[in-house]
This record gives sequence, C-alpha cells and structure tokens, in this order.
Amino acid sequence: MTEFSTPYLRFQNVSVNYAKHPALSEVSLEVERGEFVFLVGRTGAGKSTLLKLLTKEVDAAEGTIDWDGTEIRRVGVFGIPKLRRSMGIVPQDFALLPRKKVWENLAYAMRAAGATRRQIRRRVPEILERVNMVHRADAYPDQLSGGEQQRVAIGRALVNDPPLLLADEPTGNLDPEHSIEIMELLVELNRKGTTVLVASHDVLVIERLRKRTVTMSEGRIVGDSKTDPVTQPMLDLELEPEPSPVEIPVVVETAAAAPVSVSSENAKEVTDPLPISAEDAPEDTDPKENADV
Amino acid sequence: MFDRLFFVLGETFTALRRNLGLAFAATGTVAASLYLLGGLFLAYSGISRYADGLSGRFEMRVFLKDGITVPQIKWTAEKIRSFEGVRQVNWIPRDKAWEKYSKENPEIARGLENPFPDSFKVILSDLKKGDEVSERIAKLPATDPDGGVQYLRDEQNLIAQAKDALKVLGGMVGGLLATIAAVLIFNAIRLTVLSRRIEIRIMKLVGASYATVYTPFLLEGAIQGALGGLVAAGLLALTHRTIGEALKSFSALSQLPSLPYNDLTLALSGAGAFYGVVCSAAALYRLQLRYR
Repeated sequence: MTEFSTPYLRFQNVSVNYAKHPALSEVSLEVERGEFVFLVGRTGAGKSTLLKLLTKEVDAAEGTIDWDGTEIRRVGVFGIPKLRRSMGIVPQDFALLPRKKVWENLAYAMRAAGATRRQIRRRVPEILERVNMVHRADAYPDQLSGGEQQRVAIGRALVNDPPLLLADEPTGNLDPEHSIEIMELLVELNRKGTTVLVASHDVLVIERLRKRTVTMSEGRIVGDSKTDPVTQPMLDLELEPEPSPVEIPVVVETAAAAPVSVSSENAKEVTDPLPISAEDAPEDTDPKENADV
Repeated sequence: MFDRLFFVLGETFTALRRNLGLAFAATGTVAASLYLLGGLFLAYSGISRYADGLSGRFEMRVFLKDGITVPQIKWTAEKIRSFEGVRQVNWIPRDKAWEKYSKENPEIARGLENPFPDSFKVILSDLKKGDEVSERIAKLPATDPDGGVQYLRDEQNLIAQAKDALKVLGGMVGGLLATIAAVLIFNAIRLTVLSRRIEIRIMKLVGASYATVYTPFLLEGAIQGALGGLVAAGLLALTHRTIGEALKSFSALSQLPSLPYNDLTLALSGAGAFYGVVCSAAALYRLQLRYR
C-alpha cells in the first residue's frame, strides 16, 4: 500500500454497545484487498461483533466503517440485502437444510439470492468444484462429516461470487484435522483473490497457517501480527478460549509459567499430554488432537 | 422474474405443508367465521328485501268519516303523503270498494247497501315509522275516530326486531369467530417462522431481498384466508339450497331469493385473503423479523 492509498476495509474508532455494555471500544483496523486475517480472542472479546458490523447484524454506536468505498454505517435497512449479496458469510453451525442434498442446498441459496435456473445450473458445479465437494453432491447433510458440511457452508457463501468472505468460528465444531482442511480451503480461496476475515480461537490452525492475526480482548484490539509480529502467537495462548473443564487449571498454570515468546513448538508442549486431560482422553486418541477444544 | 415467483410460491407451499394441522385449523376457523358472517349478512339482506316487499302488504287502511267531501279527501291525502315514512297514498272511493267486494262475494253482497266508507291505502317506506304515521293519521279531522287506522303493527315490529337481532348477533358471534381465526392465523405464521428458521437464516446470509423473505409468509396467510372464504361460500351455497328445498314443501311460504354465488365467492375469498394477510403481517411484526 502506498502512503495515500485507501485500505480495502477500514474500521476507525468503532464502538459497539450491547444494552449499554461495551462490546467494542474504539477499535481501529485496516485490511488490504486480498488479505487473509484471523481475528482471535476469547469468547466475548468482540471478534464476532467486528464481523457482524460488516454484515449489518450489529450497528456501531460510534466510529466509521469503510469497505471498498462503501460507508457501511450509512447503509440503510433496505440496503442490507444488497450489502450481503456482495460478501460471503460462513457461520459456525453450517446452517444447512437437512432435507436437501448438497447441490440443492447451494441451489436453494442461489435461488434465494435471486439467481435464475440457468445461472444455478452453471454455477453450482463450479462451486462444488471450488470446495472439493463434487463427489458428495448428492449426499444429504447428515451423511457428511463436519468438515464436509462446513465445505458446503463455505460453498454457499460463494454463491454470489463475493470479493470478501467472513467466517465466524468456521472450525468451532470441527476436530483439528477437519479444521486444518477448512482453513486450507479458505486460504485457497484467498489465494484466488478473495479477501478473508476469520474469527477463530483455533490456536493450532492459526499457528500453522501463519497469516495475519489480530488479537482482541474485552472489545479492544490488543495485538496485530502485521504491526507487532513479536507478540504472536503468544496472545493466542494466553487467550485460549473455552477450555474443557478439566484443562482449565493446566492452561492457566502453563500460561503463567511460560509468559511471552512461545513458538509453535512450545505451543505443542503447552497443550501436550497433561496429567488430567490425558487421563480423560481415550487411550487411542492422539493427545495433540485434544489440544484444541 | 418467473424463477423468483416460482421460488416464492414454492416456499409458501412448503410452509403450508409443514404446518398442515394448524393451517387446517386456521382455514377452518376463517371458514366458520365467514360462513356465519356471510350467512347473517345474507339473512339480514333477505329479511330487508322481504320486509320491503311486505311493506306493500303491510299497508295501512285509513277509513274516513261518513260524509267527507272530495276536497277534504284530497287535502287529507296530501297531508298523509307529507308524513315521513310514507311512500304512497291511494284513495279507495266507497263505491269502488263495494263494487269490488260485490264482484268477489256476490252472495254476501246481494241485497245489502254499501257499508264501506271512503278510505285510503297507505304504503310505508319505512316499517319503523308505522306507529308514528298511524298516530298522526288518527289525529287528522277526516279520519274515523273509531278504529279509523288499521295495520299489522305487531308483524311490522317483529320484522324490525329480527333485523336488529341479526345485526347484534352478526357483530358478536362473527366478531368472536373472527378473533379466533386471527389468533390461529397469527400462531400458524409464528410456527411457520420457527419451523423455517434455517431457511430464513440462509436467505438472510446470502442477501435475499425483503420480498423474497417475507412474501411467502404473507402469501401463506392469504391462502389460508382465501381458502376459508371459499369453504364458507360453498357452505353458504349448500345451506341456501337445503333451505330452499325445505321451503318448497311449504307452498304457503315464499321461496328464497337466488344466491349471487359468484359474487359471494369472490367477496368471501377476497375478504378472507385480506384478513389472512393482515394477521400474517401482525405476526411478522410481533416477531420483529428484522433483516438482521
């Protein structure tokens, strides 16, 4: 970016309140076209709220949000559908129609968005190809693995061929193997030009992909690997979200024992076999798989 | 355009199919309330028409004193015509009256002198004014003070009361049933919204237009209402035919007026559809189904 160029996406001193409780406080963030950004932080840190500001699910109390020349706060109620058609949204819970096949789920979304039958016939196979689900096109959602279901959800987010993809905890319901698979798919889409914003607390996946990571805590941005690479990914570990009950004391203890610069190898050590979680884990389970919950 | 239309219609029928039981209940209640309201309206207009027809039969006979002159008769006729509620006043000269009676009953009339006085036949335009008109005629100087005014007071009052009762009954029972129908349509739409929350969410995720999201719910209400109206029209036609058949065996009674079936069907299904849309809109508003 040159000194005078405008960022693709810019939050400037944005604040959001939920029933007078501050959800975001004076957040400022800039994202370039074609960037891949992870928003990380504990539950309630404000990462989902940041995404919802873009989709107009939430209105900002203060500040400005510019996206590719559009001042999002100025988009009125009747402008929301058009706004949403220009971005792809991937929810955590897949939101697939259980009685429709994979291709029908995509076709349904396209029809809802106003596509003609001809457009659907042409586009659905393309999308299936992009998310590597051609071979499962005739399967029903309950016949798919979690990763496959999320692939379909990502495919649905692509029906409008959006330049911006927003994913809110896309791997929240997936095991580590499928989480990596999904993130790799998002990276692949990013490689083809789509700007991707992902809210996630999946430390291992974030570590592995080595993308820009913006860390949030209590409604504020407390770290950004683009401007402050040293602090990454330590902040992720400190903000390890929603650990299972048996792991809470261990995570807290480890984080306290090993404060700042922890590398990805260290991250494995931190979450590797621990007395309590190892006891609870099935014998044939790889302990690394339990590291991320 | 047709793709969008088919999509919206498909969504509507999917929604109806999902809550078939409640949709039936809502349609049935709309049908019952419209049947009752429509039936009462038809009965009311039938009785009104009947009463209007009867006003000729419920004429007043005004007998005049003996020895009244023609100018006095003319003056009295003009006076009666000026009373509110009077449509027509005809003078029946005593000679003409006797002549007619003698023709109809020659054996009785033979050898008798004409006992008839001069009289008026007064036809009312408003049955409710009967008593008032009667009292005013009785006070006129030419009117025979001893039973000079004769008319079917009780019968006229009965018809007026029947019309009032129908109005009240229609308002109360019809209103109650309409309220029940509103609650059922309202709940049917709310259940539909709940049962289709994934579809609604997907539509919002991909930026479906407001019309695409909301129209199926409004159409669902309209269809329930319109079907209720059709059923009500069918039931009314059936009832009309049944009563008509029953009346045929009583030749003394007049036949039912014909039912404007096409107009009735259009009116009832239109009213039902409008009612359904209003109830659906209320349900959507209550659910605050915002585009969020």
